[in-house]
Amino acid sequence: MTEVVRAPVLAVPAAASRAGTASPWRRAFAYALLIAVTFVLLYPLLWMVASSLRPDSEIFHSTSLIPQAPTLDAYRRGWNGLSVGFGQLFLNSLLISVLVVLGNVMSCAMAAYAFTRLRFRGRGFWFAMMLGTLMLPQHAVLIPQYIMFLKLGWVNTILPLTIPKFLAVDAFFVFLMVQFFRSIPRELDEAAVMDGCGPLRIFLKVILPLSTPVLATATVFSFIWTWDDFFAPLIYLNDIEKYTAQLGLRTFVDSAGQSDWGALFAMSTLTVLPIFILFLVFQRLLIEGIATTGMKR
Amino acid sequence: MPAAAAASARAVQRDDLAGYGFLLPWLLGFLLLTLGPVAASFYLSLTDYSGLSAPNWVGIENYRRIATDDPRFVTAMTVTFTFVLLSVPLKLLFALGVAVALNKGLAGLSFFRAVFYLPSLIGGSVAIAVLWRQVFAGDGLLNQALNALFGYEGPSWIANPSTSLYTLVLLAVWQFGSSMIIFLAGLRQIPQDIYEAASIDGAQPVRQFFKITLPLLTPVIFFNAVIQTIDAFKAFTSAFVISDGTGGPIDSTLFYTLYLYQEAFTNFRFGYASALAWILVLIIAVFTALSFLSARYWVHYDD
Repeated sequence: MTEVVRAPVLAVPAAASRAGTASPWRRAFAYALLIAVTFVLLYPLLWMVASSLRPDSEIFHSTSLIPQAPTLDAYRRGWNGLSVGFGQLFLNSLLISVLVVLGNVMSCAMAAYAFTRLRFRGRGFWFAMMLGTLMLPQHAVLIPQYIMFLKLGWVNTILPLTIPKFLAVDAFFVFLMVQFFRSIPRELDEAAVMDGCGPLRIFLKVILPLSTPVLATATVFSFIWTWDDFFAPLIYLNDIEKYTAQLGLRTFVDSAGQSDWGALFAMSTLTVLPIFILFLVFQRLLIEGIATTGMKR
Repeated sequence: MPAAAAASARAVQRDDLAGYGFLLPWLLGFLLLTLGPVAASFYLSLTDYSGLSAPNWVGIENYRRIATDDPRFVTAMTVTFTFVLLSVPLKLLFALGVAVALNKGLAGLSFFRAVFYLPSLIGGSVAIAVLWRQVFAGDGLLNQALNALFGYEGPSWIANPSTSLYTLVLLAVWQFGSSMIIFLAGLRQIPQDIYEAASIDGAQPVRQFFKITLPLLTPVIFFNAVIQTIDAFKAFTSAFVISDGTGGPIDSTLFYTLYLYQEAFTNFRFGYASALAWILVLIIAVFTALSFLSARYWVHYDD
């Protein structure tokens, strides 16, 4: 199906040579516009961080981005605001996210290798099936999956959130890796065959080492998406000590309600922080990933 | 040549083994977690099932009730379509405008690109939904700013059913960054000499935009529109967190997925919810198919 979507595969040239085409006035206007947009976009975010450092009395009286008397009080209140410390919830999120990354990268790379490099009966058929699942909304499988995990006794454990990822259910990553593996010259495999390598050795010694860009992209995106995921943990986790940070934060909204925005903002800031750090470190990778594949987020 | 035939037969044999060996995880996942559940969910949609006793066959009763006798379904459809039809065009318009401005060869391109992308990356998280709740509350940031700037006492935008959905539209538009990146990459594919030729012919920038940029960008616009529309139909987290899982006030933010969630996981009507799920899948499929049908009339591919 994705063949039909014709995802515009767009190279990102190092620098477009448009400099100098626009008149000074137009450039000044463009700058003014961009700075205004930056300000409007970032203002709420910066204000949230600033407010997490304010005493509660100040939050509803200050639109400024600089707290008058910065304090970490809200962080202390928030960290212990639930019956389980947020530390536990962050560990839960981290464990789930790391397992999902491992599962996704391993199983999707294996499937992509089979689809691109191995010849076996039914390959075309299964490949078409894989493309078919690319655009299938999760809602079509949601309820039977839930009932199945319920019958298996997996509900209220991390198994429904992690085990499926070891079975390459995120067809998107399979597709991403198929595209990348196809760009690796076949001569390299053939040379390895001459040297007596079997499919497993070729996969481990030739394909994977040459695929670090796509493996890194898959790693970062699957970590961020899992860290941010709310729906699956909401359905599958019941006990608060098993909650992810996202789920804990949402429970905290209920218990802190309108009363302690400072603590709420402090914990909100902390749940976004890991993603922000990944964003700073892997900015190029993320942006190129979006530009070349059209990933939705 | 029996030796060669044997060798090639062996090669095929070995490839089958290796092929299915590597494919095994995906194959298991496909059969157990996709194909099986798809079939099961279609079957469940024809039953009455609470998870406690065996599913009770009711035929098309669930679908009949949805179509003729479920006011909340109508509400959910209205809310979802309003959200999709407002948020997707606004987001794409904004993304295109900013991408065009960024494509003027300005210094600091990578800075702006990164900053504009950040909201798309974090916008779906609970933290941002929490922030939105505060910003658009009666005593929230927006009203404080309106009061400070214009002395205007704003209402609670979240608690008011006639404005609550628009705060979610705004949240979606705020996440225009990933579409913008795709537009930007598309703009840079347009050969520079076309513009130079047009300039020599005396075409003004506005005319160049409508006659060159826009037509050549239609494949990218189409791609963004399809992806963002599918995504918008599936929106869930922000509406859930902002409305405490109710879709309120008075169902004004009852996204389709939220209604589906309530039916399945708070009311445990798995049969009915499966029927709702199939209708959503169908709507998305029809919408995508229509997009592709319309594409031949307005999308220019250069091959």
